[in-house]
Amino acid sequence: MFFMVWLAGESALLPSRIQMAFTLAAHVLIVPLGVALPALTLLMEGIGLARKDPVAIKIARRWSVVMAVQFAVGAVTGTILSFEFGILWPRLMGRFGAALGLGFAIEGIAFFLEAIFIGIYLYGWTRLRPRTHFLLGLALPPTGVLGAVSVLSANSFMNTPGGVTVDAGRVVDVNVMAALFTRALGYEFWHFIIAIYMTTGFVVASVYAVAWLRGRRDRYQQLAFAVPFTLAAALTPVQLLVGDLSARALVQDQPAKFAAIEITWTTRDHNPEVIGGLLDDAGQIHLGISIPALDSLLVGYTPSAVVPGLTSFPAGDRPSVVEANISHLAFDVMVGLGTAGALLAAWYFWILLRRRRLPESVWFYRVAALAGVGCYVAVESGWVTTEVGRQPWIVYGLLRVADAVTTAPASFVWTMLATLVVVYAAIACFFVILLLGLAARWRREDRLHPEAPEEGVPYGPRPETWARS
Amino acid sequence: MSSLLPDVIALTLLLAITAYSTAGGVDFGAGIWDLQAGNSPRGREARALIDHAMAPVWEVNNVWLVLSIVLCWTAFPSLFQAVFASLYPLFTLALLGLVLRGAFFAFRHIADDPRAHRTADLVFGLSSLITPFFFAATLGAIASGHVGTTGPSGSVVEASFNPMSIAFGCVSVAATAFSGASFLVGDARRYGAVNLVDYFRRRVAVAALVLVVVGTMALAVIRIEAPDTFRSMLAGPGLPFALVTMVLTPAVAVLVWRRAYSWYRVLTVGAIGSLVLAWGFGQSPYLLPGRLTIGQAIAPPATQAVLLVIAVVLVAVVVPAMGLLYYLDQRGALESPEA
Repeated sequence: MFFMVWLAGESALLPSRIQMAFTLAAHVLIVPLGVALPALTLLMEGIGLARKDPVAIKIARRWSVVMAVQFAVGAVTGTILSFEFGILWPRLMGRFGAALGLGFAIEGIAFFLEAIFIGIYLYGWTRLRPRTHFLLGLALPPTGVLGAVSVLSANSFMNTPGGVTVDAGRVVDVNVMAALFTRALGYEFWHFIIAIYMTTGFVVASVYAVAWLRGRRDRYQQLAFAVPFTLAAALTPVQLLVGDLSARALVQDQPAKFAAIEITWTTRDHNPEVIGGLLDDAGQIHLGISIPALDSLLVGYTPSAVVPGLTSFPAGDRPSVVEANISHLAFDVMVGLGTAGALLAAWYFWILLRRRRLPESVWFYRVAALAGVGCYVAVESGWVTTEVGRQPWIVYGLLRVADAVTTAPASFVWTMLATLVVVYAAIACFFVILLLGLAARWRREDRLHPEAPEEGVPYGPRPETWARS
Repeated sequence: MSSLLPDVIALTLLLAITAYSTAGGVDFGAGIWDLQAGNSPRGREARALIDHAMAPVWEVNNVWLVLSIVLCWTAFPSLFQAVFASLYPLFTLALLGLVLRGAFFAFRHIADDPRAHRTADLVFGLSSLITPFFFAATLGAIASGHVGTTGPSGSVVEASFNPMSIAFGCVSVAATAFSGASFLVGDARRYGAVNLVDYFRRRVAVAALVLVVVGTMALAVIRIEAPDTFRSMLAGPGLPFALVTMVLTPAVAVLVWRRAYSWYRVLTVGAIGSLVLAWGFGQSPYLLPGRLTIGQAIAPPATQAVLLVIAVVLVAVVVPAMGLLYYLDQRGALESPEA
């Protein structure tokens, strides 16, 4: 009886949106290292093999453990997301599954191969010949990229749908290539792939920047810092360029989103670029720095270029003022952090190329230690920008979020959300405890004796001796 | 050819669900025995073996589940919508069990405090019990005919919790316990734990008996609740699979009981796989009995073609890669000093 009362209730739109945002935000934190750490690990292993350098091999071996832990957590948060498509948004897949599902189906294959080869890679350190181990590992980066591109293909479909013939609300025909490769995929792919490689590089390097600050200056620290940091620093200017191209493409592909990002109220020329600042319901901008005509200049290379404003779209078809503000501030945070990253990269290469050594300034390492967190914030901001900027649509122009939501009562979704918050908090605790525990163990080992680092973690080989406790 | 394609895709989905039920089922079953093992010295030994046997490949099993979901929403979008709109309580409970299980399996590796370790064991064991129950309950609910084409035919509670869904859930718990015990016999033998071989040998026999009894009761429930599916399972395309399960389950118990340690694991997979196939073929050509056929729910032809390619890739690339993993896993174990 109580169950029946609990199941009755109002629309679940609000809790469903919060739950999706929460679980996706968590997944987005796991994805970068899940996809890009294998490549970095293989790079390090390759250096180790080519130079016969046991230190590099040791670093690669330890990173492979972190990679497996990341993958295990990502598998859990990813599985939850796939269920949420059914539990929270059954009508999204019911309507567009035949097209939107294609990317996910390919991702299913990629995920499968990744799980298998991560198992083999982690398992094979001691039992396979080094070359065989390395070559089998080479399967990992492509499967990671394949997984990322197929999920991005689905996301691009939501932003710039194409390749479907809809009749009476039903997809009657699908043009596979057009549905998989929609307009947004080109820039979403490059922007995201570079973002995750950058993030992985800066995050991994930040760990060893902290080690430097704590006084560790051996070859192990130098190598483990320099390789990921150089990769990330080299990608940073490229990312600024790709990001700029992506934003510019929005003017054509998703003008309402672009208007929200720039909090432009009316379509006009000589549009200023507003940094920070908030839009109100009357179209006035408060606070923030306004640079005259810069937005027009960035979009069309001339101050007289016309840029879209929010009021060009019916109120029900564009992001609300609150959503526009969220999207705008998230965009500014992302661009600000990206610019800071480029400055850090310039500093690094200046020292590296001019003095032919790694930086030795405490301030450099302090900033480098923060770069990892900065990347996570930037990735989250970018994701908020694109997802909030698409509102009120779940598939741009074709299906509204409110029309895709479950018929489950709000109380049900609130309860599920509360449970998931507790579960995610627990997973986050385990994750941090496990990683800190590994770090502590490795520091201890470095002082005492070398030992296989990948024992006792998911995917790890069974310990040679099985303790009968 | 083109009229055959939807059936091939439906079969692919059914095989993915079957693979999850057998591979994942062994894992869940091990978790159930973990819960049952208790804290006696023998129980602790059994739990150590279970832990040891599960560690390297548990995520790979999980991928079958994700694959089943993405195949379902791509190939049969309207089925996906109907099933989730009707049975979301069951999916939520199963998902919760799945996540808690993964998290606490990892946690018990890092828990130092004995009390925390006990709690982790308990949560892991209980979630191993409820997850297969609720997943199978969704299949029972579908077979019961309470899932309509756009939502539940009655209320969500009625669609989710009815005699059929509960019967399927119970069969699933018995089946996973059975296959878990059977594979643990193999693991105990592999690690040379002689007394644990006998420990799990007894459990295979008990679980097989329970599975036969619960399965028979479930058949009675199906006969009352869904006479059409019952007829199809015992007289139509489901029959061979139902027979295989009925023969293989006791056969495994007899083999293991007589210490004839060859083929018993293959036959276990055959028994559990046939159980799922008996349901799938029993329902065919309906995805939702009496309401929605494969032909009505299938995605447009272009999507079907891509799904066929994916099925081929699965067979041509993923299966060999998986074989390589299991091969290396087995070889490594053989090389270990204890073997």
